[in-house]
Amino acid sequence: MNARVLAFIVVTVGVLILSGIAAPNVRAASAPTLSIVSPTPNAVIGNGSPVVVVFAVTNFNLTDPGNGTSSPDSGHVDVFVDGGWTANASVNTIVLALPSGPHTIRLQLVTDNGSALNPNVTASVAVMVTLGPAGGTPGLSIFFPREGALVGTDSTVSFRVTNFVLVAPGGPAGVPNEGHVRVLLDGASYADLTDDAPLHLNLKDGAHTVTLQLVDNAGRPLNPDVSVSLLITVQALVGRVTPFDATPYLALVNILLGLGILAAIYRKLEAK
Amino acid sequence: MMSGGRRSADRRAVLLAVTVLLGIVLFAGASPSAAAAGPSLSILAPTNDQIVGNGTPVIVSFAVANFVLVQPGRVGQVAGPSEGHVDLYLDGVYSRLLTRVEPVSLPLESGPHTIRLELVQDNGTALNVSASVRVITTHGPAVGTPTITIVSPKPGPTISHDLYFALEVTNFTLVDAHGQPNAPNEGHVQLFLNGVLHQEPRAYDLGFIVDMPDGNSTVIARLVNNDNTPLTPDVSASVTVRILGAADPTASEQVTAGVSLILALILLVLLLRRRNAARRVAQPNEKS
Repeated sequence: MNARVLAFIVVTVGVLILSGIAAPNVRAASAPTLSIVSPTPNAVIGNGSPVVVVFAVTNFNLTDPGNGTSSPDSGHVDVFVDGGWTANASVNTIVLALPSGPHTIRLQLVTDNGSALNPNVTASVAVMVTLGPAGGTPGLSIFFPREGALVGTDSTVSFRVTNFVLVAPGGPAGVPNEGHVRVLLDGASYADLTDDAPLHLNLKDGAHTVTLQLVDNAGRPLNPDVSVSLLITVQALVGRVTPFDATPYLALVNILLGLGILAAIYRKLEAK
Repeated sequence: MMSGGRRSADRRAVLLAVTVLLGIVLFAGASPSAAAAGPSLSILAPTNDQIVGNGTPVIVSFAVANFVLVQPGRVGQVAGPSEGHVDLYLDGVYSRLLTRVEPVSLPLESGPHTIRLELVQDNGTALNVSASVRVITTHGPAVGTPTITIVSPKPGPTISHDLYFALEVTNFTLVDAHGQPNAPNEGHVQLFLNGVLHQEPRAYDLGFIVDMPDGNSTVIARLVNNDNTPLTPDVSASVTVRILGAADPTASEQVTAGVSLILALILLVLLLRRRNAARRVAQPNEKS
């Protein structure tokens, strides 16, 4: 074979091979696919942040809905949250503002007129949204009064919560790092706190134990339990200065003076 | 002669062909980024270490050069170094896939954050072209010096043992602390009663201290960060109130003492008159 022809063939074959390597997806027109890149399954989305869903498609052109051309390899994505249609998207990132609790996000490729592909192409992911932080261990501490303190009838207990957000009871159960504070007074349920304002107490004299406990939205203690107890002694009028009152003694003097007057009058009458 | 010259030309042709092939392989495989002349990516806003205040989302504006942003996974798409998309990472975590050069709004929690953008080919291969920016987000204002003033109570005497403390805060946003990171001009208030930390009022709530002791008490209100550390420099205000104790029983004492005085005078008069009477009775006897 002529060497020039051979060289031409080698170069041509090489170029063709390289073209094939560089564009493998051209080699076969496959069915469209859809996958969710982010968030990962069962991810916890903290601080009440919106859920950012990033998805990838193959062999499918994303187009804005309503452009008029429906074909099985172009269209948009319908977004379903907890089974209900929520939005559509023609870009690969969707931002969803979701309330606290577990959610299932399902994406579905649809043609421009909204009909599902055949076969149906979907992808879904489960996430957990919380108003609390996504990570970290919840903490609870009392910084006033100190253990064993002597306090008056009216008193306040100040506490701190970390890595946990206080919300009103009744929200979805099982949401991490979110719930309220249960107050136990001498072992009995006393109040539920939904914010970190100081706890106001009005107690009888004597020793009392105040226990604060973090509980989830369903009122169940966290696992492991997060609680703190405080022993205080209540005494009325602590810190009050009582001034000296001479009135009782003066009253006694008055009685004696009165008796003296009566005696003097009696003697005078007797003398007459 | 001719045969030898032709063979030599053939060898040169084969050598040239192999060289061209090798060049193509090296060009296409070994240095893909060189295929398109230098894709570049830059972040136009925000600037590095910018403070984004008032809890507003961070708007990221970026520019791309020598690179075409396209939707990945299009039908018949051929991956190449001159087209692809932008991946956005927030604090190292993959966050968004961008196919349009338009500002991106990122609602972020207070604190420092790093936003990184990276050019990626359609097949997901990174081009090692990236740009990043550090920002600090806060619910407070981006600038300004925080101040705190105790509006009520005023210094001086008061008869109540339970006092509300009204505070005025400027250039500082009060948030409820739950372990979140520190952020400029954001935090909460601590109330100290006679030097002892007493309470941390909720955001924009009044402080309320009950059962305060009689006498002088000094309450300090201090602005602190989310982690309870004081601001630098310290921002605090104080007020000294004098709690008046139980009223002195002067009125009842005075009335009772007055009655005692009257009774004593009556008794004294009676005794004097009796004494005088006794003298008058005694004097006639002496004369006789």
